[in-house]
Amino acid sequence: MRQLLSRSKGGGRTQSTLPFWLILPTIIVLLAIQVYPALYTVWLSLQEREPEGWTFIGLENFKRLFATSLFNESVGHTIVFLVGYAGLTLVLGFVIALLLSRNVRLSGLYITLLFIPWIIADLLVGLIFRLMVVPDYGLLSGILQNPAIIPPDGLSVLTAVPPKSWFGDFPFPPAAAMTFLILASTWRALPFVTLLLLAAMQTVPTEIIESSRIDGANGRQVIRHIMVPLMLPTMVVALFSLTLSGMNGVGMVFSLTGGGPGTSTYVLSYMLYSIGWDRLQFGRAAALALMIAIVNWLLISGTLRLTRVEERSV
Amino acid sequence: MKQKWSLIVLILLFALILTACGGSTEEPAAENAPAEEPAADTVPAEEPAAEVQDFVTWYQYDEKNEDPASDERVGNEYLRNTIPQFNEAFAGKWNWANQPKAFDRMTTELVAAVQAGGEVPDLFELSNTQDVIDFYRNGTAQDMMAWAQEQSWWSDLDPNAIDACTAPDGALLCIPISQRPQLVYVWNDRFPDGYPTTPEEFLARAEELKAEGLYAITFFGSTDKGGEGLTRGIWTTISSFGGALDDGQGNMLLNTPENIAAIEFLREIVANEYVPEIAFAGGFQEEEAFKDSSAGSFPTGLFGYRYVNPLTAPNGTAYAKGSAEDMIDAIEAGDVYLTHFIAAEGQMPGCGVDVAGFVIPVGATNVDAAHDYINWIMSPEQNANWVQGPGGGFPALKATQADPAFQTTFYKEAAEAIGASACSPWYGSLERPNEAQETVMTAVYKLIKEDPTADIAEVLTQTQEEYNAGN
Repeated sequence: MRQLLSRSKGGGRTQSTLPFWLILPTIIVLLAIQVYPALYTVWLSLQEREPEGWTFIGLENFKRLFATSLFNESVGHTIVFLVGYAGLTLVLGFVIALLLSRNVRLSGLYITLLFIPWIIADLLVGLIFRLMVVPDYGLLSGILQNPAIIPPDGLSVLTAVPPKSWFGDFPFPPAAAMTFLILASTWRALPFVTLLLLAAMQTVPTEIIESSRIDGANGRQVIRHIMVPLMLPTMVVALFSLTLSGMNGVGMVFSLTGGGPGTSTYVLSYMLYSIGWDRLQFGRAAALALMIAIVNWLLISGTLRLTRVEERSV
Repeated sequence: MKQKWSLIVLILLFALILTACGGSTEEPAAENAPAEEPAADTVPAEEPAAEVQDFVTWYQYDEKNEDPASDERVGNEYLRNTIPQFNEAFAGKWNWANQPKAFDRMTTELVAAVQAGGEVPDLFELSNTQDVIDFYRNGTAQDMMAWAQEQSWWSDLDPNAIDACTAPDGALLCIPISQRPQLVYVWNDRFPDGYPTTPEEFLARAEELKAEGLYAITFFGSTDKGGEGLTRGIWTTISSFGGALDDGQGNMLLNTPENIAAIEFLREIVANEYVPEIAFAGGFQEEEAFKDSSAGSFPTGLFGYRYVNPLTAPNGTAYAKGSAEDMIDAIEAGDVYLTHFIAAEGQMPGCGVDVAGFVIPVGATNVDAAHDYINWIMSPEQNANWVQGPGGGFPALKATQADPAFQTTFYKEAAEAIGASACSPWYGSLERPNEAQETVMTAVYKLIKEDPTADIAEVLTQTQEEYNAGN
């Protein structure tokens, strides 16, 4: 009897620890590729490399970052880029999804074609867009640099001086290069957002739309009061995805503008790349990476909270 | 109890991972190169070793890339030809295994690899002198002084080249093979009476060219590539006005009358449109204006001839092989000539100078092979070949300077230009050259292009203070 009990007890223990063993490989991988690098980044952010070796300097890296004029500039550029990129992509994505949802002829073909930018690496998209506007030799330069088309002197996207700021040091209105960077980034992200919104749009019950029309709602009212509220959770997810990719992506800036002209497209992710890979200041780069990670975390938690609220209200 | 046990297992596992990942992060101690057995000048293996060992190099060139349109075709071809020669000379001892790396990332990759205790090559091709400072600060390179001083070629090396390889603590972090000065490529038809020697003469000729719808000069004017433009035309201009970027004690010093005069000159040529807009586009696009001869002159590195092609001369002659030969052909034909830059009154024309050579990284496993390789490259049979190939400059060995390969019109004109100039590395005593390069170039760009009305002294002071705060 005692043997039976102990056996069943042992079997129970195995059963209860089984989930642990099953998820153990995943935990090991996460520890190795996420927890360890994260802890190492924290350690690195408190160090500076001297000829003698690593030196602990406390929060000095953070202080130096805040004292750098380029950091403040980059924050402003990042905000302008994120607002422009996410806003434009969402609006255009919604409009295109709306057009595609109307069962126009060859809509399947359009969707296939629309998806092409998404499969091109951002680094290549940047190069392609750059080739369009290289001064004098670019595909669009003949048009853009023509004073008759854009008075008084034409526009050289990659070298144009940023306009005078309306808000002190905050870089708005953006430089032509920043606007072009936003357009290029939007072009690449548009397929993903469009398809996401198209899928959400198709889940909106047609009965509701039809009954609202019977009640006298026009197209604009249907969109505003029926479709947008029902699609809001998906739109929030799209916004979240766009913000994160815009915040962390560096490939497009690298290949399209290289942070220029001057520093007018210098965003935080590019600054991180530059401090780490160009200047070899790994400690300071780690400090900036931590700051960006915190902003990312805030964005994620904020979006998740927003999504829950919206889902409840819907 | 169960939870505790699970927790203990987790902690143990994590500790295990940390040990596994972190064990190698302890950097190998910076070792002096062993100097017990100096290798002979040329060391063909007389008695083949029992086992052939790989000798791993990091070059910016790729011997497997046979694309004739590749930017790096000269270096690619060099490696393709010489790897078999080396392997034959050291048959049974070493097998040269090259790992091609991107030219603008290989320094960072090496620094990161050494710091992380990762795999490093036995020999690293150095193409930028400021890397020596980076390697010094990051403990990346072995001190080769003791070994190098025992080699027969040591006394024949140009002292300036040795200085460029010497870290602030006196360690020899690279072996110089080639020196790459900055000079000016000029279209003869745009400056038929010779290149101007003073700013005033330059401005006068620039105005004439402008009247013809042409530009007097193109240069790397953007902030792209981490401020690389500073090391080229901008430094050439600053040094030609007697300027400098440091105080000799490691501090940045920009707000000087000479620097201000240089920036005023740059400002003037940009404002008057003597410089094409493409000079500020980055991505080496400034070359385009010289290639089609819409710009009359181009201050850049001596080795720039490899990349600036094909060419169309003002008289319509096309040099269109699409290879490094185009510029050489244009020079031989007299359509292009090499010269020094202008100079302000009382100053010598200035220019930057880089050294190309070899570094043995900390943690290299086959130092003996690296030593054998360096000695092999220093041999008369190989030295000129390397200088003309990956080196792209003048030989650091005085003996090689007399080689017929360096008696061509191209090298003669270059030697004359350099002889008339005062060339020095742009960073002086600054110990964070990469940061300095980016911040100074940003300031210069702002002053000459973005905001030509900004107070020069104020911007320069702000820049130097921001840099010096990190000292």
